[in-house]
Amino acid sequence: MRARMPDAVRDSSADPDARREAAEHRFAAEQERVRRAISVATPFISVAIAVLVGSLVILAAGKDPVAAFSAMFRGSFGGVRQIGETLLRATPLVFTGLAVAYGFRSGLFNIGAEGQLFMGGMAAAWVGVMVAGLPWAVSVPVILVAAGLAGAAWAFLPALMKARIGAHEVITTMMFSYIGRYLVSWIIAGPFKDKGAIPQTPMLPGTSQLPRLSDVFTFIEPNRAHLGIVLGVIAAFVVWWILKYTVLGFEARAVGFNPTAAQTGGISVAATTVKSLCISGTLAGLAGAVEVMGVHHRLFDQFSSGFGFTGIAVALLAKNNPIGVIAAAVLFGALSAGAGTMQLDADVSQKVISIIQGVIIFLVGAEMIVTWAVGRLRDRKGGDDAAQ
Amino acid sequence: MLLSDIITPELFASAVRLATPIALAAVGASICERSGVVNIAMEGLMLIAAFSGTAVALLSGSTWLGVLAAVVASMAFASLHAWASINLRADQVISGTAINILALGTTGYLMETVFGHPGTTDPVRTIRPVFDFPSGGSGALATVWTWVDTVLFSYTPIVYFGMFAAVFLTWALYRTRWGLRLRSLGEHPRAADTVGIDVYRGRWSAVLASGFMAGLAGANLTLEQVGSFTEGMTNGRGFIALAAMIFGRWVPGGGYLAALLFGFADALQLKLQIFSDVIDIPPQFFLMLPYVLTVVVLAGVVGRAVAPAAVGKPYKAKG
Repeated sequence: MRARMPDAVRDSSADPDARREAAEHRFAAEQERVRRAISVATPFISVAIAVLVGSLVILAAGKDPVAAFSAMFRGSFGGVRQIGETLLRATPLVFTGLAVAYGFRSGLFNIGAEGQLFMGGMAAAWVGVMVAGLPWAVSVPVILVAAGLAGAAWAFLPALMKARIGAHEVITTMMFSYIGRYLVSWIIAGPFKDKGAIPQTPMLPGTSQLPRLSDVFTFIEPNRAHLGIVLGVIAAFVVWWILKYTVLGFEARAVGFNPTAAQTGGISVAATTVKSLCISGTLAGLAGAVEVMGVHHRLFDQFSSGFGFTGIAVALLAKNNPIGVIAAAVLFGALSAGAGTMQLDADVSQKVISIIQGVIIFLVGAEMIVTWAVGRLRDRKGGDDAAQ
Repeated sequence: MLLSDIITPELFASAVRLATPIALAAVGASICERSGVVNIAMEGLMLIAAFSGTAVALLSGSTWLGVLAAVVASMAFASLHAWASINLRADQVISGTAINILALGTTGYLMETVFGHPGTTDPVRTIRPVFDFPSGGSGALATVWTWVDTVLFSYTPIVYFGMFAAVFLTWALYRTRWGLRLRSLGEHPRAADTVGIDVYRGRWSAVLASGFMAGLAGANLTLEQVGSFTEGMTNGRGFIALAAMIFGRWVPGGGYLAALLFGFADALQLKLQIFSDVIDIPPQFFLMLPYVLTVVVLAGVVGRAVAPAAVGKPYKAKG
């Protein structure tokens, strides 16, 4: 120890403390830069890894992943009709993605968006028939408001239970999801059943439907995409504006960021919780409405293929950014639209897309995994740099 | 319809049977959360186990090999959750959700790849009850014996294991060094670390234990009860188990008793559906009952139930 001392003194020529401090500072700044870069890159890396995992799963079943994914691409972006199908499937996901993202921003995990979606769909199917005879410009807004309210109502009790007694919203919204599904299953088979044997509600009149884009803009080749996607984009910008520029959004973000600090700062955490979960429910309710008004024009048991749950993946992939939700929804819409072609052309079960979805949630949710993986790569590659 | 038609020994036995998957998961989740790790993936773990158990039992012809496969598969997915939430300090709720969705996708995919069709597998030979006592004649004594035999001695092995685990783990949680250490991890991991308890290792074993219990829950569901696998068949039981865990105040035995309540509600609604011509209520409302009950239970009890202080919070070991 004593023998080495002179060397150390000679090396640090000017002020050793200052030099070390500067070096540490540089190191911290570098770390922060890397962390930010990884954070931005995570969604992209996650999708890439998820596709890789999907390929391995396909390979394990003895099928050709390249053929599978190229079939999937053809089925989702191969032509106007396919792109229309992608947008059609992205539409409810924009709304459920926004619903889950808004919840996350205020520190709430609305895992039960599926149930609120069912309630919204139910309201749309019912009010849509009730307002028959009214002009389109009146009935469509009325239906949307009703569906939004129905979704909010279904989120209200879980919200109240969270705010008042701290019951975890993951369990309560999930339970309400099951209750909602059984309620719909009863409504379509009993009090609001259409004539005939199939349990479904009556067809909506034309004035209650969302028209296809190719019917409005006749220069577009016929496809199934409907006006709902435009509403979805508008909704995304509205949510972005609420979060960024309104008191409501500020309070939601503050509570999501640090409830204790928010409470100390004079924001009512309980009130904000109720408001945020109800807004989330409204958005999920709208998802059900656009699906009923734009695609099926009536309500039946299987009208949602788990849009509420895919909404979680959409929100996470978008890092809860409302505009990012649009892109993430289109990605998942494309996966879903292309899955059929993949099954047909490459003989791969379309369930593989929920594996991809799960991996994406896992990787984006656990950003640390990507950080860890990147860190390991850097360690191996940059071993010499670090030694200097 | 008489009350004696509804209140039969079979009703209580059916309650215990229906409660078992929920109870096993609730006991497992209690252990997991006591260590400070939220395990919302119980639903997915049960589903994975249910599928693996059935598939292996069908392909190998051995039901017990199926049970083993169920436990192994569930623990494998549980270790994914452990790795993400303990080592990588991921958001535990999100990691759990990912596993739930992954489980739904994986079982659906394997269903179609292995069996060539979606939906339900072929039936598998279920595990027999442990005891098989003869029913005794007639008279008051025979009635008493029927009650005792049905309510206490009519179950399959995993059902008994669930009861044993609930009692044993409740004792162990409060009376052994292991239990004290486990609780310290969930209450104050820094303090536990300071006195030399390996936080990561403790939490890993707790998550794996919950995976083990979820595995048995899935095996019980398919290999002891239903006798086949259907996609999405766990149907929210994993989430109900979490409610049972909370109702039972994070004590294994409490979770078991709470699960019995859900099992009883389920058994009752099944029984009442038989009398649908007498009671004119649509079946959907009966089916809702367990979920409504969960909400009611949470509304009534949660305010007073206190979760482990450090549950859900990632812990970063120094150095």
